[in-house]
Amino acid sequence: MSYLHINGIRKVFGDVVATDHVELEIAQGEFMTFLGPSGSGKSTTLYIVAGFQDPTAGDIRLRGQSILNIPSHKRNIGMVFQRYTLFPHLSVAENVAFPLRVRRMNRAEIDDKVRRALALVRLDGLGERMPAKMSGGQQQRVALARALVYDPPVLLMDEPLSALDKKLREEIQHEIRRIHQETGVTILYVTHDQEEALRLSDRIAVFNQGKIEQVGTGPQLYASPATRFVADFVGDSAFLSGQVQDMTGTGATLRFADGTMLRDLPLHGAGRPGGAADLMLRPERIDLTPGRGREGASLPVTVEDVTFLGNSSTISARTPWGEVLAVRLTFGHPLLGQVRRGDRLTVQWQAQDAHAFARD
Amino acid sequence: MLMNFDKLGTWRWVLAGIAVLMALFLLLPIVFIVALSFGDSRWLIFPPPGWTMRWYHELFADPRWLQSAWTSARIAVVVMVLSVILGLLASFALVRGQFRGRAVLRAFFLTPMILPVVIIAVALYAFFLRIGLNGTFTGFVAAHLIVALPFSIIAITGALKTFDPAIEDAAILCGAHPWEARARVTLPAISHGVFSAAIFSFLISWDEVVLAIFMASPTLQTLPVRVWTTLRQDLTPVIAAASTLLVLLTVVLMIVAALIRKGKSR
Amino acid sequence: MLSFLMPARRGSGLGMALPALVLLLAFFVVPVTLLLTRSVTEPQPGLQNYETLLGSATYLRVFGNTFLVSGTVTLVTALIAFPVAWLLAITTPRLAGILFGIILLSMWTNLLARTYAWMVLLQQTGLINRMLMAVGVIDQPLQLTNNLIGVTIGMVYIMLPFMILPLYGVIRKIDPAILQAAALCGASKGQALRRVLLPLAAPGIASGALMVFVMSLGYFVTPALLGGTSNMMLAELIVQQVQSLVNWGMGAAAAFILLVVTLILYALQLRLFAGRGV
Repeated sequence: MSYLHINGIRKVFGDVVATDHVELEIAQGEFMTFLGPSGSGKSTTLYIVAGFQDPTAGDIRLRGQSILNIPSHKRNIGMVFQRYTLFPHLSVAENVAFPLRVRRMNRAEIDDKVRRALALVRLDGLGERMPAKMSGGQQQRVALARALVYDPPVLLMDEPLSALDKKLREEIQHEIRRIHQETGVTILYVTHDQEEALRLSDRIAVFNQGKIEQVGTGPQLYASPATRFVADFVGDSAFLSGQVQDMTGTGATLRFADGTMLRDLPLHGAGRPGGAADLMLRPERIDLTPGRGREGASLPVTVEDVTFLGNSSTISARTPWGEVLAVRLTFGHPLLGQVRRGDRLTVQWQAQDAHAFARD
Repeated sequence: MLMNFDKLGTWRWVLAGIAVLMALFLLLPIVFIVALSFGDSRWLIFPPPGWTMRWYHELFADPRWLQSAWTSARIAVVVMVLSVILGLLASFALVRGQFRGRAVLRAFFLTPMILPVVIIAVALYAFFLRIGLNGTFTGFVAAHLIVALPFSIIAITGALKTFDPAIEDAAILCGAHPWEARARVTLPAISHGVFSAAIFSFLISWDEVVLAIFMASPTLQTLPVRVWTTLRQDLTPVIAAASTLLVLLTVVLMIVAALIRKGKSR
Repeated sequence: MLSFLMPARRGSGLGMALPALVLLLAFFVVPVTLLLTRSVTEPQPGLQNYETLLGSATYLRVFGNTFLVSGTVTLVTALIAFPVAWLLAITTPRLAGILFGIILLSMWTNLLARTYAWMVLLQQTGLINRMLMAVGVIDQPLQLTNNLIGVTIGMVYIMLPFMILPLYGVIRKIDPAILQAAALCGASKGQALRRVLLPLAAPGIASGALMVFVMSLGYFVTPALLGGTSNMMLAELIVQQVQSLVNWGMGAAAAFILLVVTLILYALQLRLFAGRGV
């Protein structure tokens, strides 16, 4: 039995469907991230778990018990919000003590727990500070301490780092990982930043238009995206548009505008002969070679542009039928420094790195 | 260039001159009245031939002045409390509510502030004559509450709007009942708005003249009614003494308000 | 992100507005409605009260006085308030603080105390007249009270803060770079004032002017104390009809006219400034 079960959640606002049949089982101690663009239903799902919204249909079960009829303040769930939500009139220590005070704990126990929670987020000694005197990163650490101090069964985090700058964001991401490992708390994390999702999560649920497109570990999503949306959203990718020529047991054959054919491609989605389909290739999973290239997994290209990016260079390459795809060569690649605009070369890839997605 | 005082050239002397004259114009009556209250000329000659505390003695010797001040204070305190409570509730509805016509309701709540008081006074006078509230404490409170409430709502909604409701949500998730979250988190956070509402409401009731003239009875008079009736007879310096005390009260309240603002920003 | 959708408490919140709503209905809407109906029912049903009000020279003079005083007060306060608000917006915080303190002090000082001061200052033997005579501007004391001059001075005093504060709000928000740009474009100070600063401040001027005008129209205390009975304004007329003459029909009709004019101007102000956040 799963620890937290999001069971067929559907939420309708007026005539807008915010989430539809969201089904997810989360194990105890798991770090689960909801990844998706804004309006994809990830936050709505989180708010339903928090109890700020009631689902139109479906159920939320914690250790097998439905929690839908428990009001927010009795769910015992912890949450860190996107915006800074420290109580402005209370000091840091008083903020962290708040959940314990409303639970009528005794003074000594409160002091002890507050001290440990502040130590956990590495803010020891700052208990007397007022929130207004703290940086955004510090405020979110306090919010994290406040959400963890009462040992909630689930911690919800709604884009907690989106207001911070990149450097600080990465620093606190490390902290969150560490805290997750130290406490073993089950975390539901919402973000629209795929890098953040990949860095933090045990598993990621990719949301799109109110539905979960795919659930899996980061490497799973990256290596074998189930849909074109996931392929596009997780990692960099180029899409070359073609047409399904035929489909066999081993895969589909795609035909491109100039007549080029590529065979045995794994086809995702409801494809049919004659229907449109895209070939997805990741810039860092393809190679550039002066030779003929791998049979059935290569294309002749013309170099359009070369951009130096420090530890890698990106080469824009034009296919015979005129589409452009990006190729990333890491620093030290034998061809780097020799490739010029207008060179005729070949791109090649491993068979398992090519995916075809049927278009609806 | 026009928005930089140092670059205004000769114009800055014009601006500064006008501002100084305006400041003198605004201060003149207030300073004058304080000086007058200590002057020993019954005929209000200024500058007075000598100085005296006589008008203050007369003021405090006449029980009617103290009585009316006491009535004013009682009414103003009750109005202040009710205005803050109703204003708080209404502000939550206006800022956080999820119903249609919130904007209309807000405009409606503010109309007593826009309409000339004289209309409200005459209307309430007629109404209270009919239902027997004229000359009563309740009548006074109801009348003053009507004109104080819009100011209370403006002050509290102003504070509430800048308060992120997610903070209240956070308190609820921390385990506080929604009402506990409001009392322990939202209310302290908007306290500066609540204090302003209280001070505004108190001062409005305390200083209110027009409604009071209609609500008053020979046995129940507020301080402004007492001043008004005296003024209509003659310009005795006793009024200057009373006015000076009123100015003093205003200054004290302004300092309190400023201290609250400072405490808020600290 | 969606927190505007999630009040964390079910229900619309309308219930919390109920106490204030009931209070206003009972002690505001009902009394005002009852009063206004009396304008067409007393002494007998019909519009004769309005005919009398709008048809006789005596009452038309009251309307004339009201609009004349309100207009003059609005104009004078605007002329004083613009430079003061401008200075407040660009001067040091310390100086602005002192000026604001003075403005707020005068605004919150008891209305009757202020009016009493003006009654004494402006009377025939008062300080103003004696100073003017001492300087030699006049030989005879001027009649400054019991007429519209006194009313106007007293009301300008009361209304000034209500003009300065909104104007200050608008001018402070003007980006100084816009005026620097005007100067770089070759505009002289006069041109920059006329073509840039004034147009940008116009919403504040209009907003303050409408507010002062509306407040002046229905003002009672100052006209009653500083004006004479022969120079009545509208609010005084209403009170006189109701209190002295016990003529509820006429009083109610005058109140209704004042109410309509006020609401029209208020609606105009809302419409003019709805989108500007003034």
